[in-house]
Amino acid sequence: MKNTEQLLDLQAYVDGELTEERRRQVEAALPADLDAQELVAGLRQLGTLIRTHEPEAKVPASREFYWSQIRRQIEAEQPKAPAASVALGWLRWLIPALGVAAVAVVVSTRPVPREITLAGGGDVTDVDVSSTVFRSESDGVTVHWIQ
Amino acid sequence: MPVSVKHDYPSEADETLVKWAQQGDTEAFEQLVFRHRDKIYARALMMMRNEDQALEYSQEAWVKAWQRLVQFQGESSFATWVTRIVINLCLDQLRRQKRVRTESIEAMDEESGGVERQLPAPETNPTAGLEQDELRRRIDEALGKLTDAHRTVVVLHEFEGLEYKEIAKRVGISIGTVMSRLFYARRRLAFLLQSLKRERSE
Repeated sequence: MKNTEQLLDLQAYVDGELTEERRRQVEAALPADLDAQELVAGLRQLGTLIRTHEPEAKVPASREFYWSQIRRQIEAEQPKAPAASVALGWLRWLIPALGVAAVAVVVSTRPVPREITLAGGGDVTDVDVSSTVFRSESDGVTVHWIQ
Repeated sequence: MPVSVKHDYPSEADETLVKWAQQGDTEAFEQLVFRHRDKIYARALMMMRNEDQALEYSQEAWVKAWQRLVQFQGESSFATWVTRIVINLCLDQLRRQKRVRTESIEAMDEESGGVERQLPAPETNPTAGLEQDELRRRIDEALGKLTDAHRTVVVLHEFEGLEYKEIAKRVGISIGTVMSRLFYARRRLAFLLQSLKRERSE
């Protein structure tokens, strides 16, 4: 009777998992070892039997039902329906574009500062309707009125 | 005005359907599902031995296949690629349920305590004379009598053609354990099929 290591070695030989050197050794020993020959033949036979009679099974659901569940999951996990992706594509461009447009509107409608020269040598800059700045070059002062 | 081309999906080869599906054609993908669904389901069923789980994981495998379709470069056949996806899903599940790595004390003893004892060596042609369908059914039955851990290595080796090293990596065990599990599983299968022969001759 062979030990576990020898048996696993013979199995590895049948499975083509031995090194070239070890394979040659096993092949050289086989003709004189009837037990080994029997095991090798049995393992090969069993492998062929299983592989050529692989159990089969049919999906226990109609094609439509099986596919509809897959499609639902695909759509749920990756919302890529053509209509949805087109809409998303537009949104991707639309949002930044709207942002830029809003900034442009603010800038263009902002009141241009008006400067008023005063008799005392100062300037009044009308920044907007709610604030006025007085700057006196001679005195080196700037005063802000916030209304 | 865009011209819509209606494809004859059933008559197209997998490679063409895959190409179309990669461009977002769900009808092409549906055709692939229809073509290979039984094989994918059968593999899940063989791994899990549970129809509900097999159905669930086979469908999940198709969803993942759709999501990863751009990664498929045709190194293997499309069916093989999806089969590997479903196997990985089943392995994850078996691992989560601790059905692959942790076995009962009895099963562990079978692996380590002298695989040569008790069971006969596989006998030549143990199922001679059986009808093909009956033989398939009995092999399936025998596979069902193995533990999840033993059946997994048989499935990965015999049906998926994976090498010891690859099985060890996927299952998360050593190569030595792959070898002993495979050997034990084969002897057990031989024993079960041999008893089938005896049963028939009685």
